[in-house]
Amino acid sequence: MTTTSATAHLPRARRRAARMPRLVNAELLKLRKRRGLVLVTFALTLLPIIIAYVVLVALHAAEPAKHGPAGGLDNFSGSLYLLAQLGVVAAVLIGATAGAGDIGSGVFRELVVTGRSRFALFAARLPAAFGLALAAAWAGFALTAVASTVLAGSLEAPGAGLLVEGAGWLALVIGLAVVLALSLSSALGSRSIAIGVVLGLELAVMPALLQIRALGSLRELLPVVATDSLAPSALFDGEVAVPTSVSVAVVVVAAWTLVPLAAGAWRTCKRDA
Amino acid sequence: MSIDARANGRKADAPAFVVETSGLTKRFGDRVAVDDVDLRVPRGSAFGYLGPNGAGKTTLIRMLLGLTSVTSGTMRLLGRPVPAERAAALARVGAIVEEPRFHSHLTGRENLTVIAAAREPEAHARIDGALARTGLSQRADERVKRYSLGMRQRLGVARSLLADPELLILDEPTNGLDPAGIREFRNMIRGFVAEGRTVLLSSHLLDEVEKICDAVAIVDRGRVVMQGPIAELARGGEETILIATSDEERALALLGENRAVASAVAEANGIRVRLRPEVKAEPAADDLGRRLVLAGLAIRRFEPARASLEQRFLDITSRLEEAA
Repeated sequence: MTTTSATAHLPRARRRAARMPRLVNAELLKLRKRRGLVLVTFALTLLPIIIAYVVLVALHAAEPAKHGPAGGLDNFSGSLYLLAQLGVVAAVLIGATAGAGDIGSGVFRELVVTGRSRFALFAARLPAAFGLALAAAWAGFALTAVASTVLAGSLEAPGAGLLVEGAGWLALVIGLAVVLALSLSSALGSRSIAIGVVLGLELAVMPALLQIRALGSLRELLPVVATDSLAPSALFDGEVAVPTSVSVAVVVVAAWTLVPLAAGAWRTCKRDA
Repeated sequence: MSIDARANGRKADAPAFVVETSGLTKRFGDRVAVDDVDLRVPRGSAFGYLGPNGAGKTTLIRMLLGLTSVTSGTMRLLGRPVPAERAAALARVGAIVEEPRFHSHLTGRENLTVIAAAREPEAHARIDGALARTGLSQRADERVKRYSLGMRQRLGVARSLLADPELLILDEPTNGLDPAGIREFRNMIRGFVAEGRTVLLSSHLLDEVEKICDAVAIVDRGRVVMQGPIAELARGGEETILIATSDEERALALLGENRAVASAVAEANGIRVRLRPEVKAEPAADDLGRRLVLAGLAIRRFEPARASLEQRFLDITSRLEEAA
C-alpha cells in the first residue's frame, strides 16, 4: 500500500496545520545545532549577569557601609537593562542566522523543491528564532530575578507583578530585534550584512538619533523610544529619553514588526531559489 | 519506502507523460536560455536531457521545479499544471539540481529531517529506508561537513526519496564521481526505473545518457532539436549494415545498383551500407546477402552496424553550427 493513500483524505487545512510545527521544529534544530551561536547567545545573556552579581556581592562584602546589598529593585532594574542590551545582540545573531541560513547554505532551493509554500518556509523561521532568543534571555532574566530577590537584604525586592512585567517587556525588546534581523537577512539573503545593519541601527544610529533634539517628536518613530515607553514604570526610575503615549508606542512597535516581516516574506516568495 | 506501490506500475488514471512542456521559454534580458521547448517525458522510463554545457538544461529543470520564473509557455508535471498546482505536483517529485546542498553543521539524518518536515508527515518514516537504500545508514549520524562528494550525492538521492517520488529529476548527477561511483549511480537509477518511477536525467555526457536512458531529448542552445527512444535517434531512421567480401570493388558496384541502398561507402573494415529509411530492414538485408552470394562473392562479414548516439549527437550539433 502506498503511504499516500493513508493520508489522502485528511482535510488539507489539517494536514497543513500538522506540518507547521514540524517546520518550526526543523528550524529550531538548525539553530540549536549551531554550537557557536548557542554558546555566544548564552554567554551574552548569562555571563554578564553572573559577573555583575558576583561583583556586587563582592563589593557589598568588602565595604557594606559604602556598597549596599547586591539585590533589590535598583540592581534588578540595572541588570535588566544590561540584559536587554546584550539580549538584543544575541537576538540579532539568531534572527539573522534563521533568516539567511537556508539561503547561505543553498538548502533553500532544496526546500522549495518540496513544493512547500515559500511563505510557510519564511513563517516557520520566526517562532524558532524567537524561541531560542527568548529562552536565552529568560534564562538571564531568571538569574536576575533570583539574585535581586535573594540578595535584596534590607532593600525592597522586585515583586511578582514587576517580575512578570519585566519578563514581558524583555520579550518585546528581544522579539523586535529578532524580527528586524530575520526579516532583513531574509530580504538580503546575507547573514553578515543583516547583522551589521541591525546592530549598527540598534547600537549606533538609533542612540545617536535619540540625542538629536532638533528631530523633536519624529524620534517617537524610533522603536527604542516605543519599547522604552512600554517598560514597567518601576524600572529605570520611570525615565524615558523621549516621552510618548502608549498608543503611539504600540503603533510604532506594530509598524516596525509588520513592515520588515512583509518585506522579508515578499522577498522570500519572489527570489530565484 | 513504499517501493512496492511503484513496482505495481502505472495507475489507471496516471498520465502517459510525467513532464509535458509547450513553448517553454526563458529569457535573461536579451539572451534566450530556453527557447520554445516542447518536451514529453514518458512515464516509467529513464529519460535523458542531453546537451552541451550552457545549452539551457539546468534552466529548464529550474523552471519545472519552480525555482525560477517562466518567461512564456506552459508545463505540466505528473499531469498537473504548474505553477497552478505546483505543490501537489512536487509532492511526488524528488530532485537534485546541480550539486546537492546541505546544512554542513547538521548530520545526514538531521538534514533529511529538515526536508521531511517540509513534506507530508509520512516523509519522516521514509528517512531510515532512504538512508539504507543509498548505503548511508552507517554514516547517517555524522555531520555532513565530513562527507565526501560521493556521499553527498547519495544523500541527495536519499533526500529525493523522501517524496516517494513518481518522478526523479537529476541534474548532472554524476558530476565529480569516480568511475565506481558513476557505476553505482547508474545501477541505482535503473533500479528506480524498474520500480516504475520515472527518471529525468540531465547531462552533457553522451556515454552516460546512452548507458542509463531509454529515451532522450537532444538540446542545443536552448532548443530541443530531437527527442525519442535512444535506439531510434541513434539510427536516425536509417538501418546500417557492415559488409566485408572477397572483392570489395565488385561488391561496391553491386550494392550501388540496389534500390534499397541509400549509400555504400568503403571503410577500413568493410563497406558501410545505409539502407533507405522507407525500406524494411530485414528483407532488404536478406536480399543484399543473396545477391552478393549469387554474384560469386565470399561474404566475410555481414552485421548490422550499431549506430552511436554520440555520432548522431555530433552530426546534429555540427549541422546546427554550420547553419548558424
